[in-house]
Amino acid sequence: MTMDEDREGLAAEYVLGTLDAGERAQADALLTTDAEFAAVVRQWERRLGELNVMVAPIEPPAPVWDKIVASIAAAGPAGPMRLPDVAAPAAVPAEQGPSAEIIDLTQRMRRWRGLTVMTGALAASVVAIVIAREYRPDVLPADWRPKPQMVERVVEKPVEVVREVVREVPAARPAQFVAVFQKDEQSPAFVMSVDIEKRIVTVRQVAAERFADKSYELWIATAPGVAPRSLGVLGNDDFTVRATLVAYDPAVINNATFGISEEPLGGSPTGQPTGRVIHAKLLQVTPAQNP
Amino acid sequence: MRVSGRLHSRTVPAIVIGTLGMTSAMLTPPELVWLMAAVAKGDQAAFERLYAATRTKLYGVVLRILRRSDLADEVIQETYLKIWHNAGSFDPKVATPITWMVAIARNRALDLIRKKTEASIEDEPAAMEAAGEEPNPLARREMTEDLRRLLGCLGQLEEDRRRMVLLAYYSGWSREQLAVKFEAPANTIKTWLRRSLLEIRECLGS
Repeated sequence: MTMDEDREGLAAEYVLGTLDAGERAQADALLTTDAEFAAVVRQWERRLGELNVMVAPIEPPAPVWDKIVASIAAAGPAGPMRLPDVAAPAAVPAEQGPSAEIIDLTQRMRRWRGLTVMTGALAASVVAIVIAREYRPDVLPADWRPKPQMVERVVEKPVEVVREVVREVPAARPAQFVAVFQKDEQSPAFVMSVDIEKRIVTVRQVAAERFADKSYELWIATAPGVAPRSLGVLGNDDFTVRATLVAYDPAVINNATFGISEEPLGGSPTGQPTGRVIHAKLLQVTPAQNP
Repeated sequence: MRVSGRLHSRTVPAIVIGTLGMTSAMLTPPELVWLMAAVAKGDQAAFERLYAATRTKLYGVVLRILRRSDLADEVIQETYLKIWHNAGSFDPKVATPITWMVAIARNRALDLIRKKTEASIEDEPAAMEAAGEEPNPLARREMTEDLRRLLGCLGQLEEDRRRMVLLAYYSGWSREQLAVKFEAPANTIKTWLRRSLLEIRECLGS
């Protein structure tokens, strides 16, 4: 085992369950990007998993099964997802498939990891989002997922005409921008992604504390010294999606500083941030792609 | 539409193999491995049998951590959805079906409880105590060889350290909760936990 003790400890505690939400998010990011870490986690799951034998079985309520069946049926005829096939060459034009981009990012991430632990973890979470977008669209909010198109084709065969329904993943995609709002050195409080073409912001609350009596508000400062303007109050769910960037030019968005502040319930009463603020700038994680 | 037809007509889960005369619905590991392979191919009947064979165990595991049946219901649904979709990634070389499924269920439960309890750890001290610590001991003959070895290694830990590991594993206690109970700073708890886990790894020789 070549893994250092810190990461071995992180893997072991991840499985034991004693990490806090931020550390769990960090471990989840590593699981997606680091095969060695994932293998060590699997070993810990195997080692400690035997303890389940001693847990007394309890019958779940009957409607649980019905709900499972209903959600599987709702997920459509795709059947079990075969993860590695999502970027199958048949559906994606060969010249610039998404896999090249992921490998590139993974390599970039490795380079980053050398710098410091913090940038390493940061890069991991960013790359995890990009990779998740390709391989695990189900973990992302609807707006981050690649949109499959159902295309009907008539395929001529010598003796019969067969209608095929093919799932196509469009290759054209705007550049993806992500900003990570750090809670502390270890854990991201929020991760924001921006669809610069549609000017849609998606903020995911990761390790930020949840207050019953406060709201988080998103701000944009377009240049140093310019008063920040509100982009809206974040919702209580894990994901908040807003189209509040419509008034801003992509170049301005790209250079702006974003902030998330703690405010009284419902947002700032003054039109300016009143509580603690965390700042972040956008980072381009994937270039624009044209078909 | 492979999924909808059969699954919609709710049938009483029937356990066919290996349960004659047993009260538990649990199948033997090789039978579960076979079911997993069938589920990976999209076999809904196999999925239904897998559910029937494992649901009480997984529900027991997550309810113990969450201690709220509404949350446990939610986590169990998500867990089986994930099992259905990801059965193809199950690898019998690195896991048994049950440790693989338990890991998915615990992960979901822990994600939920870590998000919830961060703001309100002290909300339910009574519930924390009432949760008890270790599940009832099993008759020796019910133990697997792997479990016997693991318990042997846990037995070599100092008593408090062992209780910490078991409270974390079975009841989902965080470092902060353990810190209150064992009257030590959370960072010390972290050091103890990691040391204990490494000792377990050494002891198991894997």
